[in-house]
Amino acid sequence: MPAARGRAVGTAPGPDLAALLAEVAKGDQAAFEAVYDRVAAPVFGTVRSVVRDPSLSEEVTQEVFVEVWRAASRFDAGKGSPMAWVATIAHRRAVDRVRSEQRSADRDRRAASSLIAYDDVAETVEDNLDRERVRRCLRTLTDLQREAVTLAYYGGYTYREVANLLRVPAGTVNTRMRDGLIRLRDCLGVGR
Amino acid sequence: MSRQPEPHTLAGAYAMDALDGPDRARFERHLARCPECTREVNGLHEAAARLAVAAAAQPPPALKELLRAETARTRQLPPLATGSPAAAARQPGRAGPAGWWRTRFRPRVWLPRLAAITVLAGVAVWVAGNAGQPAQQAPRSRAIAAVLTAPDVTMLSGRVRTGGTATVVMSRAERMLVFAAAGLRPLPASQCYELWLVEPGLDRPAGLLPMVSHGMAGPVVAAGLRPGDKLGLTVEPARGARHPTAPMLLVLAL
Repeated sequence: MPAARGRAVGTAPGPDLAALLAEVAKGDQAAFEAVYDRVAAPVFGTVRSVVRDPSLSEEVTQEVFVEVWRAASRFDAGKGSPMAWVATIAHRRAVDRVRSEQRSADRDRRAASSLIAYDDVAETVEDNLDRERVRRCLRTLTDLQREAVTLAYYGGYTYREVANLLRVPAGTVNTRMRDGLIRLRDCLGVGR
Repeated sequence: MSRQPEPHTLAGAYAMDALDGPDRARFERHLARCPECTREVNGLHEAAARLAVAAAAQPPPALKELLRAETARTRQLPPLATGSPAAAARQPGRAGPAGWWRTRFRPRVWLPRLAAITVLAGVAVWVAGNAGQPAQQAPRSRAIAAVLTAPDVTMLSGRVRTGGTATVVMSRAERMLVFAAAGLRPLPASQCYELWLVEPGLDRPAGLLPMVSHGMAGPVVAAGLRPGDKLGLTVEPARGARHPTAPMLLVLAL
């Protein structure tokens, strides 16, 4: 029963996200607003954790939703969940923006702050059951896996940058990222 | 690049966008001929999406208002498959979004414009306040007044990428525009905002933007508009530059 999971984003009541996206693809603005209400917080939170600058985060979030509107017809339920589709657009857009714009000085500064970025960001939503599950599952990762995953995802770093930050070989970071994400996937019971 | 990693080990990095340009392109070529990797990446994207959900934070309510305007003027992509029921999406045009717009949210059309109107009011006050200024100011005040009262006056506005709203009041007949902005990110004393008239192959400097207070800036009068000009805005060293040296923070087609 959906209510049992409280504010879990993927299981909120109402028409499911995939059905809403199909309506958005036909130009239905009301459906678009419903999609927005459902996923705006994960999108904005993710973008902000990567981009950091508040006004730039808003700008990127706006771009993400224009892309969701524009490309809704390209969502393919056979390839994954609607939330994964939106989150992939959001994260990539945030990362690409940071990489194209971030000056080297800013990147150095972010290097110092991104280690705390995850906790920092995650605190902003109270009573988020998904967050609790993710935290619990993150704790099942090795330290190196967890650091590699959170630096890449919440910090927006490339694996080479993560390798430099953690002072381990790039090849090691790659395998830890993959192993860590696989362990997270299995712990959360999502994907295959 | 010294060594190239075994593609399959990159699935996690790829799913978290931790590959930069060349690595990403190489991995995507690999994905195209590796169904197993595609399945794995899809699953890892699901895991990554839970990381996104865990980071949830509410965006400012104004964002939704802005998106109403954006989507209303953004054409949608047709579906990839042909002959699908969603073929209707190929005609996303006016009847859909615009109809919805008119019937249900018309009053909200005005909300994004309020900022622009506020800026205009600021310009008007500036003009009034400068009525008794020294002689060298007078031509500019007259120019602003000429634009504001021109029969073909048009107003444009746009968001500055680093924050803030820019407003342009323009007269094609007078070949002049007045630029003002609100909510701009403050700059250190060593930098300033500079305006450009942008045409292919040649960007003409159109003036430095005086910061009035609290992110309010302008007005700047730019004369000698040519057909096809666009207006651009960059951050430059405080004395200005002869050519843009930084990415455009705003480009408005005039």
